[in-house]
Amino acid sequence: MEILTIITPFLLVLSAIIIFLFLRSKRRISARVSVIATLVTFFLSLVMLGYYVVAGHSQVVHIGIHWGSIWLDPLSLIMWVFVSGISLLVHMYSVRYMVEEPNYTRFFALLDLMTAIILFMVSAADLVTLLVAWFLVGVVLYFLLGHDTNRPAAGRYAFWTQITYRAGDLPLWFAAFVLIKTYHSISLPVIFAQIQINPDLHAFWGLSIPELVGFLLAFAAFARSAQFLLHGWLPYTMDGPTPVSALMHAGIVNAGGFLFNRFAPVFEYAGGALHMAFIVGLVTAIIGSAMMLIQNDVKRSLGYSTMGQMGFMVMECGVGAFPLAIFHLIAHGFFKGSMFLSAGNVIGEARAHDGVPPDSIYTAIVERRPAKPSRLPWLAAAALTILVPVAVLSLSHFFVSSELLYEQGVIILLFFGWVTGAQALFATHKMTHTNPWRLMGGILESFVLVVIGYTLISHYFGSFLYPHGISQKLYAAASINAFVFDALVIFLAFLFVGGWALTFFADSSGWWDRVDKGRWRGAYLSMYALLSRELYVNDLYARLTRLLLVFSHRLNILLRWC
Amino acid sequence: MNTLIWIMAGTLLPWFPLSWIFNKLIASAPGFWAQALAILVFPQLGLLLLIHSGAWQALPVGPDPDLRVVALFTAVFYAFRAASTREVQVWARLMTTSGLALTWLLHGQNLDPLILQSVALSWSIPGALMLVWAGLLKQRMGGAYLGLTGGLATVLPRLSALVTLTALAASATPIFPNFFILLHVVKALPLLWIPGGLLVLLLWGWAVGRFLQDLLFGIYRGELLEDLTVGGTWLGGLVLGLFAVGGIFWGAHG
Repeated sequence: MEILTIITPFLLVLSAIIIFLFLRSKRRISARVSVIATLVTFFLSLVMLGYYVVAGHSQVVHIGIHWGSIWLDPLSLIMWVFVSGISLLVHMYSVRYMVEEPNYTRFFALLDLMTAIILFMVSAADLVTLLVAWFLVGVVLYFLLGHDTNRPAAGRYAFWTQITYRAGDLPLWFAAFVLIKTYHSISLPVIFAQIQINPDLHAFWGLSIPELVGFLLAFAAFARSAQFLLHGWLPYTMDGPTPVSALMHAGIVNAGGFLFNRFAPVFEYAGGALHMAFIVGLVTAIIGSAMMLIQNDVKRSLGYSTMGQMGFMVMECGVGAFPLAIFHLIAHGFFKGSMFLSAGNVIGEARAHDGVPPDSIYTAIVERRPAKPSRLPWLAAAALTILVPVAVLSLSHFFVSSELLYEQGVIILLFFGWVTGAQALFATHKMTHTNPWRLMGGILESFVLVVIGYTLISHYFGSFLYPHGISQKLYAAASINAFVFDALVIFLAFLFVGGWALTFFADSSGWWDRVDKGRWRGAYLSMYALLSRELYVNDLYARLTRLLLVFSHRLNILLRWC
Repeated sequence: MNTLIWIMAGTLLPWFPLSWIFNKLIASAPGFWAQALAILVFPQLGLLLLIHSGAWQALPVGPDPDLRVVALFTAVFYAFRAASTREVQVWARLMTTSGLALTWLLHGQNLDPLILQSVALSWSIPGALMLVWAGLLKQRMGGAYLGLTGGLATVLPRLSALVTLTALAASATPIFPNFFILLHVVKALPLLWIPGGLLVLLLWGWAVGRFLQDLLFGIYRGELLEDLTVGGTWLGGLVLGLFAVGGIFWGAHG
């Protein structure tokens, strides 16, 4: 099994080297070599995951003397299967999609190299291997995003990605040095074992070692997963080839969630860092989703959707639901990968059908649909909207594991599920339909299926990832004062219900239009302008960069370039 | 006598402000081969002077705060200046100066002189290679300024590939030895000084990102250029490959 462990990531390194050195002019053969190598890697990953399920124990395999060790634990194995699976899809798609592009063979070699590096990154058992792989992901991604060198925009946005990644590397390096200097080891299992023995070692600024490292790791994760203020690069990665966008949005951008999970034993003692992650994730989710809604470009819209999803993922880590974040990143990876790879078809479809909203007279006469569809009675709709999600979510968690309902992190996720579920039902109620009960029934059925699926999968997935019960400790670490928490939940519940009620009555009675008289429209347009300029974050960075470059240039002139 | 040794050593293994003389000396060497040779030899001479005069060994065990400030400042200052540089020769000199300054941070660790010389050589090799590539670019284009013509990846693919790999080596990209040396150097710093060391890494990333953007991207609109020969490319690639193998060896033996 040790041989297989070493072969799995190195197979793709080997195929990249073969393509680079010997198959540069042989387009078809290089694509075949690349796809076959990825297929074998995926198969080997599955075999090793299967072996773990049967044998049931983790192991560390050493390749080098000082560094270069691979940790075969549930997290690594799940990530190996996920990464090689996504990569296989991207490889197969690229065979025809990229066929008319120049540097076809180089593209496949880089794709192989990128997959191999990610495999090393997710399975690194020591800090040096992790730093090497983490660093190289940024470098190889730069060349993949800048595949088309004839387009200056591709180079510009590849550079944005590279510099944001480099900025995010620094806290990870700092965290690594803090751990190495404190525990005198680069081995992650050794460091985690020592943290369990003595978690209260003091660092500085009143922080313990796990707290300091937790904050630093969170910052590193924010840069990789495009959290607010470090997100500007993500929507612009669309300038790279579509398969790279798919790999980027389905796999690479999820590195933040992986980092939280890899260092879960540190975060057990870093509650402050988890609280920060929750706030940053929440802000990112809201801003990413808001920006997604105002885009008129399919791929840009998907880019901001990824930003919003990454916000949710980091938020899940912030409440202590680490396994859920991994489940989320896998589900989002496949979902977003398929969205990107089918974006071209969607654009083609949009060109064929103009998408003009239907006219009521046209639908009544030509399409023979009733002109006056009906809605549910408002009381029935309100009851369904508010009560059904609560009942479904609570019961599903209660039947799976009743003690989970006492964890603050689970309550937040339940609350979140309730708000989104209720919002979906509320929006459904606003839709007119010939058979509103059937429409609402369909939505409820989907909701129940999604919730039960999520509850079962996240619970059993959590037990698989963390068989020694770390999950409960992470929930405890993310908790705050019980009274403040309860007050906050009650306040937010009233706020949301009040908001829905206000919207409903304002809509149905026309009261808002009479009171507002168009004044709100100015504020609405200002908000739209602000979001369409991406809150001026990128402009601010561009201005700052220009100032620094001018200063650097003047220094060079002053010192005569010596 | 001791002061004179320190001044000469600071010029050859540069720290600011003596690094200005180091750069001036290299820039004034006749031809790119002489410049490449100078950037390889000067730091070695500086180290030999320090070691054989006993000045290096005379430093107290443990880090000297003044020397640390000067070395870190030089590394940060030159990396910052490299970010706005589009002339390949100047970029190579500034980046090498920034890297070489970090060698001073290894004082007080009782390291073997051979290791110190290897460290200095690791910063010098990418600098020397880049000066050679800059000379070859100058022969073909009349200058090695990247601000005027972009898109060299299309017109000079082989030479651009070597320049790109050398730029990555100069900015401490794994698996080149500089990466592992940087790890060692930053690890040697006290905890509160580590952000200063990491700032160098960020500035190198910025400098190399801008450099590659100017080199590779855009549509080339100049005259047709003759690329490097296949043999020359293999030779350059072999040197860089051996340098990378050196990195793996260095990393493996910590």
